[in-house]
Amino acid sequence: MCLPRVAPCGHPRSLARLFGANYVCYGSRMLLALPFAALLSVAAWAAPSAPQKSFDAVEREAESARMAGRLNEAIGLYREGVRLHPSWNQGWWWLGNLFYEQDRFPEAQASFTHFTAITPKPGAAWAFLGLCDYEVRDYTHSMEHFQRWMDGRGQGSSDLLDVASFHWALLLTRQGRFGRALYLLAGRATRKGESPLLVEAMGLASMRMTNLPEDYPPERREQVWLAGKAAFYASQHHFDRAREYFRRLLAEYGNLPNVHYFQGTLYKLHSRPDEAEREFRRELEVSPRHAAAMLELAQIDLDRDNSANAESLARQAVQLEPMNPDTHYILGRALLDAGRARESAQELERAERLGPEDAAIHFHLAAVYRGLGRKQDAERENSAYMSLRKRDGTLDQASGESEAHHSGEEHQ
Amino acid sequence: MIGIVASTLLAITSSLALQVSAAHSLSTPEASHVAQFEQLAAAAAHAREGSRDDAAIQMYQQALALKPDWDEGLWYLGTLLYEKDDYREAREALRRFVALDSKAGYGWALLGVCEFQLHEYTRALDHLQQSLVIGLGDNKQMAVKVYYLTAILLTRSEQFDDSMSLLFSLAASGDATPPLAEPLGLAALRMPFLPAEIPSDRREMVRMAGAAAVALKAQRYAEAERLFSELEAADPDQPGVHFLIGAYLLGARPDDGIKEMKREIEISPSHVPARIRLAEEYLKRQNMDQAIFFAQEATKLAPEDSLAHLALGEALVAKGDMAGGILHLEAARDHSPETVRIHWDLVRAYIAAGREQDATREKSEIERLSNQNAAH
Repeated sequence: MCLPRVAPCGHPRSLARLFGANYVCYGSRMLLALPFAALLSVAAWAAPSAPQKSFDAVEREAESARMAGRLNEAIGLYREGVRLHPSWNQGWWWLGNLFYEQDRFPEAQASFTHFTAITPKPGAAWAFLGLCDYEVRDYTHSMEHFQRWMDGRGQGSSDLLDVASFHWALLLTRQGRFGRALYLLAGRATRKGESPLLVEAMGLASMRMTNLPEDYPPERREQVWLAGKAAFYASQHHFDRAREYFRRLLAEYGNLPNVHYFQGTLYKLHSRPDEAEREFRRELEVSPRHAAAMLELAQIDLDRDNSANAESLARQAVQLEPMNPDTHYILGRALLDAGRARESAQELERAERLGPEDAAIHFHLAAVYRGLGRKQDAERENSAYMSLRKRDGTLDQASGESEAHHSGEEHQ
Repeated sequence: MIGIVASTLLAITSSLALQVSAAHSLSTPEASHVAQFEQLAAAAAHAREGSRDDAAIQMYQQALALKPDWDEGLWYLGTLLYEKDDYREAREALRRFVALDSKAGYGWALLGVCEFQLHEYTRALDHLQQSLVIGLGDNKQMAVKVYYLTAILLTRSEQFDDSMSLLFSLAASGDATPPLAEPLGLAALRMPFLPAEIPSDRREMVRMAGAAAVALKAQRYAEAERLFSELEAADPDQPGVHFLIGAYLLGARPDDGIKEMKREIEISPSHVPARIRLAEEYLKRQNMDQAIFFAQEATKLAPEDSLAHLALGEALVAKGDMAGGILHLEAARDHSPETVRIHWDLVRAYIAAGREQDATREKSEIERLSNQNAAH
């Protein structure tokens, strides 16, 4: 709604923007005029300061307050504890957790930052810190901290894993790493089922929009929702239901970029390569500079042993997106298939520099090095590949545990 | 004059800020600390009462640096920031406020409104609902706003029936409300969008559906039928249109209602509520095979939908399949334990199956739910 900023009473009113300028004016003093005492359910004034306690007493009382669910009291005590003993990492840990529990993210962020600075193996704290960074919109550090969390084998409860991997996926989408984001989101879909937020996240990644759920234009809501529903059901292999939403998406937005590309990926997931190819080609009619569609077509050509076509498409994609590791990766594969191992190695090395986290790049690079007789290099790449696979497997393993836990609950 | 007062206040503020800073660095005695806080708090209140919002905000922030758990300061800071449309900072202050006083309905309400403005819709819905559970006292304007936002967020999260109930309550309250045609139309057509997110080529359709829903609620049936005809003529293939019309016709002309529901399923093949309505209608007509068919389809599409299990359970029991019927009624109960109708169905089914103990347990549950509802 595009409404005037000033309501009839002359004060800037968000309500006027919500309801229309001719709607009730709440008066800028409406909230302020509420006597504060009337808002209080209980008198919550701070107690006068007590005489200083020993650290041991504070630690004991903090734990006791936390265990009893007296969170504000516990926060006060942990604050006092870390003031007395700044290297008390358990104090920072619980302080971070308690603030996080209350959605007080700036304070939680500060606590987890202290904790990670003084703790040799912070484990799950990296994930909490990444989540706090996300909430305060420090996305660069959020990515970095999620990465460190995964480098440490992604420790934490299955709930933490779900929340952290979900937010990580949102950030990957924001960075334009849509495939990886959808992989993480599909895992959550399997573990937790459908939710409006998940559908929205899957919709954004499917429509290749580098937005977060809270910052995309309202006029794209329907497109995101329809794509999200289709992606959710496709990820659960309910292709009929996915098609239903996809048909609606096509009917309303078929002439917009990424829609046919998305349909192509759904066909690919459904093991229907001919239909997938048709849709990728349609995408190129709608968006002739769609590098991702070119790469998909190149992969189809590789599957059909047509490395010449694959190379041509991949080269076009490289020209369009030289900083995208996928373009170099597919070109490297096409060159490998064509028997041009040295050129392939060069492209795969470029891909590796741009996307060191992609296990597939290391896998193919190892194969090229083996072909070139570079045993040591091949071993190094193979080891990087195994390590990344192991890391990715952490998510899968955790999702397995989560599913087992869930089905256990169902049988109780 | 105002300028003099403002500059004096600013001077006081600056002086106090210096004292605060000194207090931090030199660890002045407790009494001085308290005195500084009290001076700042009084100056902040004075500035606020004099509508000098920027000065008040600054002083509240300084006072809160001395006493982070000062709930009154957090509340006023939150409201002042909200008034300045600084929703992000207001949200932070209000989060700290509700952490101190989790029973302050207004705090949750204002926090939810800030989150709504920041497009954090899931949190906004949670917190607005929390404020409704706690209560908002007798401030009708605030209540209307919270109801409205809750309703449109329920629609956005695909809780259409709950949204409709809230919107109808709002319409019936007699209070000045924002225009409700679009929110009602969205919920009635089961489109999970905010009014601002309605695709421009369907805004008229949504308004028409909303107007028809209002007419129906007011029992202006001729007007509703006219609007339905116009809606069907204008948008015959849009998802949701035939379901809305069918829901009305099942009461007025059930044969036509059945046709509309089946048309909706052709357009939206996975439409669960259309199947449930058909199952209920066939159950009324004692056509158990059709009732079971549609209810089974509904449970397959939505295994966690209690209404789908309820319809299937009722149809199976009516057909004499007690064991199968009870299983689905129990599934319905597990997904929706607060629905009294399901417990009554189970009482009857358990008695028919000779399971007296289970029937007694369900009766106790009905009694407990009735007492709970009476208490509310």
